[in-house]
Amino acid sequence: MVIAWLTFLAVMGFAAVTRLTNRFGEQRKALARHLYEQGVGEQQAGKPEMAIEHFRAALSYSHDNFQYQLSLARALRDTGRTGEAEAYLVSLWEGSPQDGAVNLALGRLYAREKLLDKTIQFYHNAIYGVWPSDPDQNRLNAWFELVDVLLRLNALPQAQAELITLSASLPHRAELELRVADLFSRAQDFPNALLGYQRVLQSDRGNPQALAGAGEAAFKLARYRTASHYLSAAVAANPQDAQSARTLQICNAVLNEDPFGRGISTSERIRRIRAIFEEAGQRLDACPSLPPQSPTGAIQSGVVPLESRWKDMKTRLAHLGQRGESGLADEVMDLVLQIEEQTANCATTPQDQALLLLAQNRAGVEQ
Amino acid sequence: MNLFSASPQAGPHAPASPTPPVRKKMAAFPGTTLSEERFFLVLAVFIGVFAGLAVVCFRLSIEWTSIALLGPSPEPHTLRVLLAPALVGLLIAVLVIHVFPQVRGSGVNQTKAALYIFNGYIPIRTAIGKFITAALAIGSGHSLGPEDPSLQIGASLAWALGRRMNFSREKVRLLAPVGAAAGLAAAFNAPISAVLFVIEEVIGRWSVGILGSVVLSAISSVVVVRWFLGAQPLFRIPPLTVVRPAELVAYAVLGIVGGLAAVIFAKAIGFLRPRLRALPPSTLYVQPAIAGLIIGLIGYLGAPQIMGAGYQFMDQAMHDQFAWQMLAILAGLKILATTLSFVTGTPGGMFAPTLFIGAMLGGAVGGVERHFYPHLTGTTGTYALVGMGVLFAGFLRAPMTSVFMVLEVSGDYSIIVPVILANAFAYVISRSLQPIPIFDLLTRQDGLELPSLEEQREETILRVEDAMRPPPIPVLNAADPIQQANQQIEHASGNVFLVRLSPAGWNSVTRETIKRFASEGKLEMSLGSLLPPQRLPYLHPDHPLEMALRYVYETPLVPVLSRANFLKLEGVVSSQDVMAKYRVRPSENGAETM
Repeated sequence: MVIAWLTFLAVMGFAAVTRLTNRFGEQRKALARHLYEQGVGEQQAGKPEMAIEHFRAALSYSHDNFQYQLSLARALRDTGRTGEAEAYLVSLWEGSPQDGAVNLALGRLYAREKLLDKTIQFYHNAIYGVWPSDPDQNRLNAWFELVDVLLRLNALPQAQAELITLSASLPHRAELELRVADLFSRAQDFPNALLGYQRVLQSDRGNPQALAGAGEAAFKLARYRTASHYLSAAVAANPQDAQSARTLQICNAVLNEDPFGRGISTSERIRRIRAIFEEAGQRLDACPSLPPQSPTGAIQSGVVPLESRWKDMKTRLAHLGQRGESGLADEVMDLVLQIEEQTANCATTPQDQALLLLAQNRAGVEQ
Repeated sequence: MNLFSASPQAGPHAPASPTPPVRKKMAAFPGTTLSEERFFLVLAVFIGVFAGLAVVCFRLSIEWTSIALLGPSPEPHTLRVLLAPALVGLLIAVLVIHVFPQVRGSGVNQTKAALYIFNGYIPIRTAIGKFITAALAIGSGHSLGPEDPSLQIGASLAWALGRRMNFSREKVRLLAPVGAAAGLAAAFNAPISAVLFVIEEVIGRWSVGILGSVVLSAISSVVVVRWFLGAQPLFRIPPLTVVRPAELVAYAVLGIVGGLAAVIFAKAIGFLRPRLRALPPSTLYVQPAIAGLIIGLIGYLGAPQIMGAGYQFMDQAMHDQFAWQMLAILAGLKILATTLSFVTGTPGGMFAPTLFIGAMLGGAVGGVERHFYPHLTGTTGTYALVGMGVLFAGFLRAPMTSVFMVLEVSGDYSIIVPVILANAFAYVISRSLQPIPIFDLLTRQDGLELPSLEEQREETILRVEDAMRPPPIPVLNAADPIQQANQQIEHASGNVFLVRLSPAGWNSVTRETIKRFASEGKLEMSLGSLLPPQRLPYLHPDHPLEMALRYVYETPLVPVLSRANFLKLEGVVSSQDVMAKYRVRPSENGAETM
């Protein structure tokens, strides 16, 4: 009987408190919504600190609200309070580990902290996670963002691996392929970049961005003739493209001055070597070389300065092409390479850069 | 002093019984089919449920009051922040003086006093008054917390539920701590800490009967609170760093600083409280208002964080929201604000402010240490969390509770070593600089003399080994003939001799008895066959000396036996030995003097 009475009282108490908490809960929710909206407004107005305060106040009245927590965590992360943002996000992630937005936010947080493994882990979670709306686009955006983050973190092998997977699963849309090709190029995977641009050009022949990209990629691959082809088209399509125009100049200079190119006569080869040698001498006059240094940076004693070596070589250059002087061309190019490297800080013209490339690439540029 | 003793023990030291003890059949409790013991456990669950419901309402009331008086997000430089605590302070003073005179203070001492003086009685009017006045005070920004009032409300509800149930006096006394544990557990959302605190600070004794009912009530109240308010903990604990052993020095420093802060806090309260109470009675009307005005001014000038319980700001401190300078300022201001609120008699608890001060101080100390030693890996959150435990140990002087509270709040066992270390430092420093714990100090200021559980803990216990002396020689055997026994005692001093029985047990015989047997011509008969069939009670050297008092008046010599071998006699103890030991008091330097 006593227990029955106590149970009855407890049930009545539960009913009364439930009613009370429900009513109070509604008020809290309304208050929280109001504070949250204020916070969003302040965030949009560029007042993140005020926004954080209002998000926080909103959360104090609606502890479990996913959106409020996510907004607060993002605001905290964006203002550099990564520790607190992480606590919120990890708590959200523990509640719904499959949520794309939470995983993406965590990925961004760890990217900000330069924690590569965690960054990749949570971006992958976001890419394969659940998105309430427009999942394909959100996943694609997360993937592109991951590659971008990896490039910013200078994690080139990881970025290249992501790009290879991404390019294989992309729908065939020129703008996406172009974007991937650009990213390949940034990841210094020039063969794939060139292929990507070429795929874009198959469907859109005159795309100036693809032409420029293909030219740059070919240039990086030392395929100067191919580069010259694309860059010429790119400059023709977009005369404002200064970068392509400059690269094209270098390409043309390389092609015109290459002393090792196939199909040129011996006299032409000698002429080109002499011309290159003279240009290097002029550079040396304009930019005095540093004293010879060891690989550790110490000044080496007993090493002949470049100026003396250049003068010495000039006297020997008269014998270029003669029998018994077959190695002289290489010696000349070695000296040119050293001069160009020593005076690289003065190498500003396309001609200088072409010289450097020619000296580096003794086997002959692409024909 | 122990109010919860069970019936006198019949342990191994009692005379051995030839038959196993018969278990007494428990009568059904009136109105139920359960025994009193079991019904009390059931009632403990109901106490927990009702305490949980009350605490839910209490927390909602505080929040509602806070929104109404300070606004949904209190900000500095607003008039309501400046004025609300002062105006509410006036109202509270009137209520306390004219309507609810028993609601001053935190509630822990009142519960303890009820337990030891009034058989656990706390009027329900006090609970109602505490509910209203504490909600007003905390909601308006007075620097107090809801835990201690919840404890008292729970204890009062427990009494209200159990008073008409015809429980034995022992059970009636137990109602208050059971309710107190439920109230505290619900307020803290931490049942283990609540149980430990009540056992450590209120009851002071462990036993299965007490523990069962206290745990049941605490758990049921927490379930109720989580049902209504959600299961989220008080704080979002940031990822904690597991420290390298060398970094423990940093936590030891935190323990020292925390111990000193706890002493300052306790001394400030101990100094100001009697002086304010000694002022003319008319000033009692304005004291809470003045405290409120000063607190409001602090909030108005830029530190509204110190107003109210401040849990959300502890949470922020743990997440690096404040620079260490700000944390240190907040800790100092909170000590000031809480001292003012408390000494003016504003109803409210000290748990939350203690945690607040600890969190801020911990964060500040951690910040300073990392400034000078950047390689320290502990985060601000780690230091803040440890700091909470430090203040709890140093100020409230509940060392076990302080450790478990941090573990329960953090849910991370890896932090236990720094917590124990820092808490130990804080506790030792606080004890040496402030010998009387804060709750005992407050009790004595109120003119009461309740048992100090810390003093009891630290009291030197006299044991049997301190009073026993070597056994009288010879020790006789029950199988010895009277003639042999007579020869053995011929040249021995003393008048009483122990007799070893076969196969086990002890008896005693006097010189006169043996002489009488000899004169009666029973020389060939064995001593055992002539002695009455009884066995002496016995003791072990580690037994408390007070246990010997139960037996030394029944028999002239009580044998003290080895625990490993009951036939091995370690010594004997008589009533004269016990009395002589009690007359000797240990002196300051440890030497014993008469």
